[in-house]
Amino acid sequence: MKFKIKKYKYVILAVAFSFISCDDYLDINDNPNNPTEAPLAGLMVNSTYESSQNTFRMGDIATNYVQYLASPNAASSSDIMEPVSYSGTWGALYNVMTDINDMILQAQAEEANHYEGVGQILMAYNLGMAVDAWGQVPYSEAFNFVTVTPSYDDDAQLYEEVLGLLDAGIANLSAETNASIGDDDFIYGGNAENWIKFAYMLKARYLNHYSETSSYDPTAVLAAVGNGFDGNEDDAQLEYFAEQFNPWADVAIDNANLFLGGWISEQFIQALDGTTFGVEDPRLPLMVGATDDGEYIGTVNGAGRGDAPEQGARSVLEEGDFYTTRQGPLLLGTYAEQKFIEAEAAFGIDKARSYQAYLDGIRAHMNKIGVESSEIEEYISSPEVSMGVDSFTIDDIFKEKWVAMFLNPEAWVDARRYDYNYEDFDLPENLNPDLNGMFIRRLAYPDSEISRNGSNVPDVTLLDAIFWDE
Amino acid sequence: MKLKTTLIAILAVFQFASLFAQESSVSGLVTGSESGEPLFGVNVLIKGTNRGTTTDFEGNYQIDVAPGEVLVFSSVGYEKQEVSFTGQSTIDVSLVEDLESLDEVVVTSFGIEQEKKSLGYAVQEIGSEEITKTKQQNLVSALQGQAAGVQVTNSGGAPGMSARIIIRGVNSLDPNADNQPLFVIDGVPIDNSTIESAGTPRGLSNRAADINPNDIESLNILKGAAATALYGVRAANGAVIITTKKGKAGRVRINLNSSVGFDEINQFPEFQETYGQGFSGNYDPESFWPNWGPSMEEINQIDPDVRFYDIWSDAMRKGTQFDNNVSISGGSENATFYGSIGKLDQEGVIPFSDWSRTSAKLSGEVKFSEKFKFSGNINYSVSGGNRVPHDRFMERLVYWAPNHDVEDYINPDGTMKTYGNTNPIYDARFSTFEDEVNRTVGNLRFTYSPAEWLDLTYLIGTDYYSDKRTEVTPGPMGIDGENPLSSTGFIRETRINSRDINSNFFVTLKKDWTEKFNTTLRVGNDIFERDYERLDATGENFVIPEFYDLSYASQISTSQDKRKRRLVGVYGDLMMSYDETLFLNVTARNDWTSTLPIGNNSFFYPSVNLGYVFTESFEQGDWFTFGKLRGSWAQVGKDTDPYLIGQTYSSPSIYPLGGQVGFTRFSQFGDLGLKPEKTTAIEFGTDLRFFENRLGLDVTWYKSNSKDQIIPVPVSESAGFSTFVTNAGEIENTGWEFILRGTPIKSENFRWDVSFNASYNQNEVKSIREGIEEIVVGSQFGYGGSSVTIKLLEGEPYGNIFGTSYSRFGADENSIYLNEGLPIIIGENGFPSRNSTQLVLGNTTPKWIGGLKNDFSFKGFDFSFLVDFRAGVDQYNQYDNFFSAFGIAKYTLNRNETIVFDGVNADGSPNTQQVWLGQGEGPDGRNYGAGFYRNTYRTVSENFVQDAAFIKLRNITLGYNFQDNVLKVLPFESARISVAANNIILYTPWDGFDPESFSSGAGGNATGLTGLGYPGVRSYFFTLNLGL
Repeated sequence: MKFKIKKYKYVILAVAFSFISCDDYLDINDNPNNPTEAPLAGLMVNSTYESSQNTFRMGDIATNYVQYLASPNAASSSDIMEPVSYSGTWGALYNVMTDINDMILQAQAEEANHYEGVGQILMAYNLGMAVDAWGQVPYSEAFNFVTVTPSYDDDAQLYEEVLGLLDAGIANLSAETNASIGDDDFIYGGNAENWIKFAYMLKARYLNHYSETSSYDPTAVLAAVGNGFDGNEDDAQLEYFAEQFNPWADVAIDNANLFLGGWISEQFIQALDGTTFGVEDPRLPLMVGATDDGEYIGTVNGAGRGDAPEQGARSVLEEGDFYTTRQGPLLLGTYAEQKFIEAEAAFGIDKARSYQAYLDGIRAHMNKIGVESSEIEEYISSPEVSMGVDSFTIDDIFKEKWVAMFLNPEAWVDARRYDYNYEDFDLPENLNPDLNGMFIRRLAYPDSEISRNGSNVPDVTLLDAIFWDE
Repeated sequence: MKLKTTLIAILAVFQFASLFAQESSVSGLVTGSESGEPLFGVNVLIKGTNRGTTTDFEGNYQIDVAPGEVLVFSSVGYEKQEVSFTGQSTIDVSLVEDLESLDEVVVTSFGIEQEKKSLGYAVQEIGSEEITKTKQQNLVSALQGQAAGVQVTNSGGAPGMSARIIIRGVNSLDPNADNQPLFVIDGVPIDNSTIESAGTPRGLSNRAADINPNDIESLNILKGAAATALYGVRAANGAVIITTKKGKAGRVRINLNSSVGFDEINQFPEFQETYGQGFSGNYDPESFWPNWGPSMEEINQIDPDVRFYDIWSDAMRKGTQFDNNVSISGGSENATFYGSIGKLDQEGVIPFSDWSRTSAKLSGEVKFSEKFKFSGNINYSVSGGNRVPHDRFMERLVYWAPNHDVEDYINPDGTMKTYGNTNPIYDARFSTFEDEVNRTVGNLRFTYSPAEWLDLTYLIGTDYYSDKRTEVTPGPMGIDGENPLSSTGFIRETRINSRDINSNFFVTLKKDWTEKFNTTLRVGNDIFERDYERLDATGENFVIPEFYDLSYASQISTSQDKRKRRLVGVYGDLMMSYDETLFLNVTARNDWTSTLPIGNNSFFYPSVNLGYVFTESFEQGDWFTFGKLRGSWAQVGKDTDPYLIGQTYSSPSIYPLGGQVGFTRFSQFGDLGLKPEKTTAIEFGTDLRFFENRLGLDVTWYKSNSKDQIIPVPVSESAGFSTFVTNAGEIENTGWEFILRGTPIKSENFRWDVSFNASYNQNEVKSIREGIEEIVVGSQFGYGGSSVTIKLLEGEPYGNIFGTSYSRFGADENSIYLNEGLPIIIGENGFPSRNSTQLVLGNTTPKWIGGLKNDFSFKGFDFSFLVDFRAGVDQYNQYDNFFSAFGIAKYTLNRNETIVFDGVNADGSPNTQQVWLGQGEGPDGRNYGAGFYRNTYRTVSENFVQDAAFIKLRNITLGYNFQDNVLKVLPFESARISVAANNIILYTPWDGFDPESFSSGAGGNATGLTGLGYPGVRSYFFTLNLGL
């Protein structure tokens, strides 16, 4: 009997050891590294910063197509317009659109109208970039994990969404807000007026994209321009940080470290050094670097650097120029661009206004990047630039806008709307033979989408145009 | 209140201990029957109890015993002997030698010793000598070729570099899963993760490398789910059970062990040594292009002083290693101890790579009474070194023109000396990465045996380490005309702290129901916790050149990662044996994990295995010594990593920026209904021994299916996440294992033992998830679009390499496999045309692996060698891709030849067009641009996915043990000298450095991508062992 009691005690001992209260002990799976909610300000910081980064990423893709830059390696895929899978940029665009989506939903719940308004403008901006590159993309089933395989929306309809978002953004920014934006806004520091102007400027930009379609309404473009920027001081731009340099400065630094990139296209050099247009552009030395011998020599797109060494013999992006200053700005939308939009829209309505807007656009860009005023006047007064209203053509607008949009992805939209019709603009050497001697019209859908969402991905070739490019 | 009850219970238990009385003491001498010499360390046990002792150095023992009890004398290498106690005061025993003891004891779960013949599943034990003989400093590497079904791969030849171990194939579809087994030391699991460097690969250590192999007594590999069911989720990939050395009662023994070794690269690729610097056949001493210039003959006509250096040998050095160990052990009947100190210093073949390990170990066991035992173990180690950026080093060596002396790398002012390209040695010297791991592994074990039929054991262990890493890349020194390694320079400080705690309490109940039928029941509780934290701080742009401190960097970014995981398990294990013939073992376990959603976090899994020693039941010829059939069915559950469930936000590491912290929705979403994975395994085997155990054959067949895999499914980023962690997919491994061993010669002076093992594994991804076509395990760069990707596809085996190929005439458009048998299509330009569609070019998982071991002993001499092999494996040879792109490979010597490519035209007619392989204008006046190798060859992945089979002489050792006549005049008890050589490649179709090296490190699954890995080395050792 005594023995039996002892036996039970062992059992009690064992049981006591075994069942240390499990539930509390195991309830430790709340992530200490990542919160389950994000502050509106934190989403604003990332949304503005990443929108700027996306401008760089899309610009980086477009620079070869519009022949700002050329690859130092022969027949490099992007340079010869082969299909390249830009999974990373696609992912970055959707990441920030997801964050903007969360910011909008959260702002709606908190009636933080200004946050909602900025969110809508940034959504329009990123969505617009995605549509301009790929055409049909997911949107209506995107962001909120309603499905693992979101369907693709029609690109023309998405443009209506973009314009609707801009209008909604303007309305929200004009309303009262429960929470004001501050330094968490890297673009305008919370200034609602500036955001409204930027929204109108973007409206003008996207309405102007319809130029080749039957729905083009230049009056509407000019109406938007009227509410847009009033000068360079209104420009939408993001100035970089001591901790995080301007990405174009990084390209220049990497190139100096022999991680080659940022080599200037011969097309761009010749357009600015007088070869193509007979006038030397004072912006050239402020935009790109010279060779060791102080010359400006470009690289032919698709041809690579040939026997040129890795350094010193060709023009490249050099650290410290306007576009490549460590803590310098990256431009999202500028007064100069707006002026060229105005010039294009007014061209068929009021040619004198168009001509003036064209000259103002050049002047705005030159002021922006710091050209001496005497040089500005000298350049503008040259007959090649100030040809007079009568001799003034749409080609002049596109040429000068192309210079002013240096490294910006919008330049590729212009190039396609203009059918790459720039003076002496040649196809790259070693062109992708599938293009049948034509310029690229869109990006291929990235491999990540094809492998993860294959059944929804539209079947397109690089020659299939975006809806506005007819 | 609860505490009080517990105390009373414990007191009651102690009280119980003194119940047995009426014992008398017996003593005696144990000798060997052949030699008549006293035997030290013989176990003397009272049958059916846990009371026992061991003989001292003079062979004497003393033990308390009650009349009617039976004394059992046992010792390794001798037959067991039983003597009944009838009141004698002295019992002297003479043990008969039995070199082939059948009652092999193996250590399974929780340090429990079990007779091997009772097991219904395959285990394989590796002894202390077999480990130290390999001279491998990483104990994982020491397992190479030694056990069937166990694949061990060195990730490279750097000192301290990680080695990967996979048992019976990869069990997970998750490309990031660690498919390696659990490592257990003295019953307590330890961490064997490999935390690779951020950025360029530097070849860090797997944490088991912190263990000094000299401290290991034996190592057991538990392969299947059956063997590991009791370790639960963490052993789902098998377990490596390590038992460390313990002291033995008797005289204090001191062992000294000193070894010096040398490393050199074991195989070089075939290089061309004809063409020098330049491009298109034009010599240029400042050209970026190392080998597309003219021949040396032509170069010397331009400049007679130009030499062609053997940069591949010049840049390397002879590696060295010094290993010194002292151990001291001994004890009395009631207390034993073992202590050791080891120091290893290694320098690798790439300059400035080094690693060292200092380890100290102390273990002891105390018997407070016949009923209460306590043992403890503590191991402290400091390890680390400078990890050179080997991948970048080798890449820079590729770019280095052999017309320049690579060893002449530095100017007097400390800046880099170069003709243009970065000097690899300069980079290796100044781009440093130093790690230091301070680690303590310890455990305490309490055993209380209040009654013959009852044991209570409590085991608690901890594994704590801090890993301190400092990486520095210098910025410019501020000297005119310098070529800095980086325009900014950076310092990255990483601090990792990890602490594991394991607690395990179990009760063992034994009962002999009849003479023939016995049972043992074990029930227990197991608790595990891991607390991990990592901090990273990076500073860029040094304010003062060469002053490397975070405080003096102008751009700072930081990140932090904290993780905690807990597991609670309850298990039961019932073993039944009938007449030493039939053994049935049933286990059951339930685990609760912190990493799965509450409600889904409890999971139960059973196992059953049966062993039948049929030779006990039937009469058979004398030649048939032993035969056993075994079978098992088992399940193992598996949880996942912490914090995977639901949606979170994160702050990317770039923040804060301008004083602001940005947030982004975390890209991963974890299924709210995530449930445990389940692996079901069946296994059948037989163990046959003949001619008094001089010949043995062991065959095993297994099949395991892992279902409901927890995998990060990549989903369209537009969905709002890029990864959805959910239960999806199934993977199956089926295989055979064979072990054949024998003792062909056994005479008084000469003995020859041989053992051969081979295993075959077949793997299939049974399913992934609807809508998900493929899972990418890894990819690697190749020039001109020849990058390759390892992908998992439904119905295909693990490890298929996809890449570009030559277009084939008549190829099946629907096949994902390249059909190499078909003729190559030659394009209109006369060169082979390229198919850019990604096809399967090979598979990176070996079909066959195995090893052959031979041991010879003759008087004091012993000689042994171990060969291991793998077959049916392909790898992507990134070196070869670079060597073709830069004209370094020997086969590019034909660059100035005009040939007709073997193949057919688009219409199927044979190709007859002559083409020149060189660059620029050919003899036929046509412009060939960058030439065949750059235009075509380097862009076709097919050229670089190559057969990576090998046969290696892993180790060859010749040793001499000094005999008594010499030892008599020396102050030593034993003395041995030996010489050994390791890792000599006997055969491989692979052209390049050792095909074993790969770039991802032991934790990665993309082993088939060699990268520009640290070249493999062969080593030579001279070793002296002395016993005092």
